[in-house]
Amino acid sequence: MKSFTLFNPKSLGDAVGALAAPTSSVKVLAGGQDLLTEMKEHLVEPDKLVNLKGVPGLDRIEFTAAGACTIGALVTVGALEEHAGVRERLRVLAEAAGSVGSPQIRSVGTVGGNLCQRPRCWYYRSEHAKCLKKGGDECFSFSGQNKYNAILGGGPSYIVHPSDLAPALVALGATVTLKCSTGERQVALERFFTLPGEGDIRRETVLRDDEVLTHVHVPAPAAGMQSTYVKFRERGSYDFALASVALALWRDGARVKEARVVLGGVAPIPWRAKAAEAALAGAAFEAATFARAADGAVQGAEGFGQNDYKIPLTKGLVQRALQSCG
Amino acid sequence: MSTNEPTGAPLAPNQDPKAQEKPRKTRKIKTTKDVNGVPQEIEIEVEDVDGPRWGERKDLKVLNTELRRVDGPVKVTGRARYTHDVRLPGMVYARLLCCPYPSAEVTIDVQDALKLPGVEAAIVLETKTRFLGQPIAVVAGRTSDHADDALRALKVTYKPLPWAVDRAQALAEGAPNVRKNGNKGKPGQNGDRAEAEAAIAAAPAKLEATYSVPVQHHASLETHGVVIDYRGGEEATVYISTQWTFAAVGQVAELLGLKANQVTAIVEHMGGGFGSKFDLGSEGAVACRVAKELKKPVHLMLRRPDEFVMAGNRSGNRVTYKAGMNADGTLAGLVANAEKFGGLGDGSMARPPYVYSAGKTYSEVVAVYTNTDSNRAMRAPGHPQASFGMEAVLDELAYQLGLDLLEVRKANLKDKVWHRQLERVAKEIGWFEHPHRTKPGPNSGGKELGIGFGISTWGGGGSGGTECDVQLAKDGSVTVSVGTQDLGTGSRTLVTAIVAEEFGLQLGDVVARIGNSRLPSATGSGGSTTTGSLSPAVKDAAWNARNAFAEHLAPILKTEAALVRFAGGKVFSQANPNAAMTWKQACATLRDAGLNAHGKWDKDRAAALMGNGVHGAQAAKVEVDTLTGRVRVLEMVGIQDCGLPINRTAVRSQLNGGMVQSLSYALFEERVIDPVLGLALNANFEDYKLAGPSEIPKMTSIIDDDDQRSATIGMAEPAIVPGHSAIANAVHNACGARVRDLPLTPDKVLAALGRIA
Ligand SMILES: Cc1cc2nc3c(=O)[nH]c(=O)nc-3n(C[C@H](O)[C@H](O)[C@H](O)COP(=O)(O)OP(=O)(O)OC[C@H]3O[C@@H](n4cnc5c(N)ncnc54)[C@H](O)[C@@H]3O)c2cc1C
Repeated sequence: MKSFTLFNPKSLGDAVGALAAPTSSVKVLAGGQDLLTEMKEHLVEPDKLVNLKGVPGLDRIEFTAAGACTIGALVTVGALEEHAGVRERLRVLAEAAGSVGSPQIRSVGTVGGNLCQRPRCWYYRSEHAKCLKKGGDECFSFSGQNKYNAILGGGPSYIVHPSDLAPALVALGATVTLKCSTGERQVALERFFTLPGEGDIRRETVLRDDEVLTHVHVPAPAAGMQSTYVKFRERGSYDFALASVALALWRDGARVKEARVVLGGVAPIPWRAKAAEAALAGAAFEAATFARAADGAVQGAEGFGQNDYKIPLTKGLVQRALQSCG
Repeated sequence: MSTNEPTGAPLAPNQDPKAQEKPRKTRKIKTTKDVNGVPQEIEIEVEDVDGPRWGERKDLKVLNTELRRVDGPVKVTGRARYTHDVRLPGMVYARLLCCPYPSAEVTIDVQDALKLPGVEAAIVLETKTRFLGQPIAVVAGRTSDHADDALRALKVTYKPLPWAVDRAQALAEGAPNVRKNGNKGKPGQNGDRAEAEAAIAAAPAKLEATYSVPVQHHASLETHGVVIDYRGGEEATVYISTQWTFAAVGQVAELLGLKANQVTAIVEHMGGGFGSKFDLGSEGAVACRVAKELKKPVHLMLRRPDEFVMAGNRSGNRVTYKAGMNADGTLAGLVANAEKFGGLGDGSMARPPYVYSAGKTYSEVVAVYTNTDSNRAMRAPGHPQASFGMEAVLDELAYQLGLDLLEVRKANLKDKVWHRQLERVAKEIGWFEHPHRTKPGPNSGGKELGIGFGISTWGGGGSGGTECDVQLAKDGSVTVSVGTQDLGTGSRTLVTAIVAEEFGLQLGDVVARIGNSRLPSATGSGGSTTTGSLSPAVKDAAWNARNAFAEHLAPILKTEAALVRFAGGKVFSQANPNAAMTWKQACATLRDAGLNAHGKWDKDRAAALMGNGVHGAQAAKVEVDTLTGRVRVLEMVGIQDCGLPINRTAVRSQLNGGMVQSLSYALFEERVIDPVLGLALNANFEDYKLAGPSEIPKMTSIIDDDDQRSATIGMAEPAIVPGHSAIANAVHNACGARVRDLPLTPDKVLAALGRIA
């Protein structure tokens, strides 16, 4: 990889200060699981890395008495998975964390890095393919090897968002704090991710180069929440999702009161399946409803050959997720 | 060493121990024996042998037991030194630049690279390429970082030329010529097509279907590479990750302008080859070139992405079978039209029908060439490819007729060893209690269980060229020396065990020196020939050493050499077992230089020690989620004969490893190249998916102890032949999803289930 200077700030202020007026290209470094790979493969070649690892206070998980949860950006995926409070109260998140990569990756990768990680599409990851994401003018997956690409989102880039935490956190209605040297802003996670057609096609989020994601906030779930994360991976040992479903569900006896259904692995962003949620709200908690929700989840989905299977797969996962709450 | 081309029709192994036995001869020795302090004349009958024998299995103390590998501790503690680990004073690190396109004209300006600090060489290797991944330049730097920087500083422009990387491109009209004479090889034909077609037409059940397997990678954990220690002058040492220690010597000598006796090859430990590492390779040749130019040691190990594109592969294939089955389950006829995809190479495919008798048969096998690296031998070349379609055809026809899948196999196998083996794996996996023995389970929307079978065959005999020394030192230590290599398969342990057995010692009493071309010569490790080539030579040396030691000890023990026995760490006369010396005491009587004996693989003597021809059968149990297409392999059972197992743990490791590697082939592995861009898309261990810990099913590996041949036979290859076929058949059996194209990924399973709109 290209040589770079490593800056180890001792405070958040120093960290965002270093991002404020970059004289050369700067990148934030957390666990490095993704960034270092990108650098080795020459997809990004920063001159300077701002290493967050020495910044105090970003590695904690805290619950308020009311049940709201704040997760520091440097909390590792493994720590999230193992946290007793998270397991007990935010099951969908604990399950999503447990499904990330392998134990080695979970022990190093951070929550902030997981939300900011870049796409895994193999055209994007191939230095010699000048794709849309890298400033080219074609998404090669459309007519190419698209087995792992998106069926939702409408292009023009067909990457899928790789994060497992993102669908779970969107289902929980999380927000994130983004901090720069002059202030900070709170963004609903659902708005944090951007479709390729919406913003800068080279990015997946609204995060600016001068910002650090410092915390994730999960509001206290309304009482009685059932939740689960169902992830389908080709290889169980470690793999990104071919499709996944984050489900949060509130029931009133035999009826569904409300549901949040967020899909992973099928769209360039964690995909809020609103038609599925609508099919569930107020409906009887039974197989026929699950089937309608499954149909709703893939409303508007379109495969272009090798990824067609993701449509029945996603439907199957939605049904499996609902069944598991029975 | 020719291990690439499969041997036409699979051979018919003979498991009958008598086929190989020689008549037993004995003679009587007159001697005296102390009975209650009174010497008495007695006669003892001893075996009169003209050469070494393994002896009765019941008498073996070390062989045929479960041995831990002798190099286990150094491997798990990281002390084992692999080629990659070699560090020498003044050494430079070399890196290859591989062409990312399948064919291109390349111009490379090396000037900027050469100006960088720490960079010692930048050399253009090729300006017009024929395969994706062909090395086009090499750089060398004082550290690997310097070399990496130099690579990036090369100014390269590619002018892509027309290419063909897949079947469609290779066979398209107007396709560029991949090889001089076009994109198809000369077809190999066997049998009478008309006769076979007629037999099929007359059969009550018929099938025509196309089956394919993708190009697979060897995926050795240690990449290919060498460290060449040459600093000018008259000597060089090559550390190399190879399956054949001695092959590198001559090649390196020639490239460096030295003589063979000036070059030493060292293969202390080796991280796997699976058939892909038989010679110096183009990377080794380049390393020699750099070493010669710089007169410095050169470290050149392939980086993983390069390993994926330039270091060989297992050829894919596509076979259209037409077959007919009689009402009794016997095949009436079979026609197979096969294409092999071995890149620039010819690919491999054992001649159909694979193992089974198939009535009237006709086969046509042809290579289709593409602009990708040449296939190399890979564990049982041609057999897994041939097994896949054959085992599927049997099941598909059996279902048509409502026949039991196990019985159909037996009906087409003359050799009863396979009947016995199939029944054993069937029993272990629960076939006889399985509900779907004659038709597949339902496409239910739920999870379904299925079972499938496959069988294998191989040779596994050895050949000449291996010699061995055994040395006994005055302090009682024992050394066995042979230049063979241990690929991770356990040959170091095998060598040690044979000598320990001979002298009634334990594994830890003997030290093996291997992996060095200054040691007695040995053949390459390919085609499961190592055991059959190595064990007779080592046994011969051990036997000679024992006879020599017995001669030496006879007067000391006041007995005849033929009566000297070595057992349990003691040495004694058979006539007076109570008057024993310890091994150490016995060795202390040797002269200062100890005792040296030599042995070799001699055709006649080896014939009594090694055999050829093995059988195997495997069964797989899977769970298919018919809603999502997810396939989980729950259980695999494998049985394998191998004559006399030298180390039962090693044999079972080979079986387990074979099952895991075939599971990975069944479910995940596949080289993916974008045909339009010409780029390798999954040349890394994240996207090229190998089975990992969670994929490993319950595995039962069974050594077929009904095989009582007193002969050693290699069995690494057959272990990998049938697993993927059994898994694909099990998926079909579970829910009716017949996927005719590996790997069995969820997209294909869902398509086969008719669940994709
Ligand atoms: C083999 C492999 C398998 C994986 N499998 C999965 C999987 O199954 N599911 C899944 O969800 N993930 C998976 N991952 C991704 C892994 O979880 C992420 O790479 C990891 O979480 C990234 O975290 P990190 O701390 O290492 O980030 P880094 O690599 O340090 O950073 C990643 C990116 O985020 C930016 N960044 C990091 N932290 C911040 C911050 N606080 N503020 C602003 N920007 C930031 C960096 O600049 C960089 O661009 C896998 C990764 C690998 C290598």
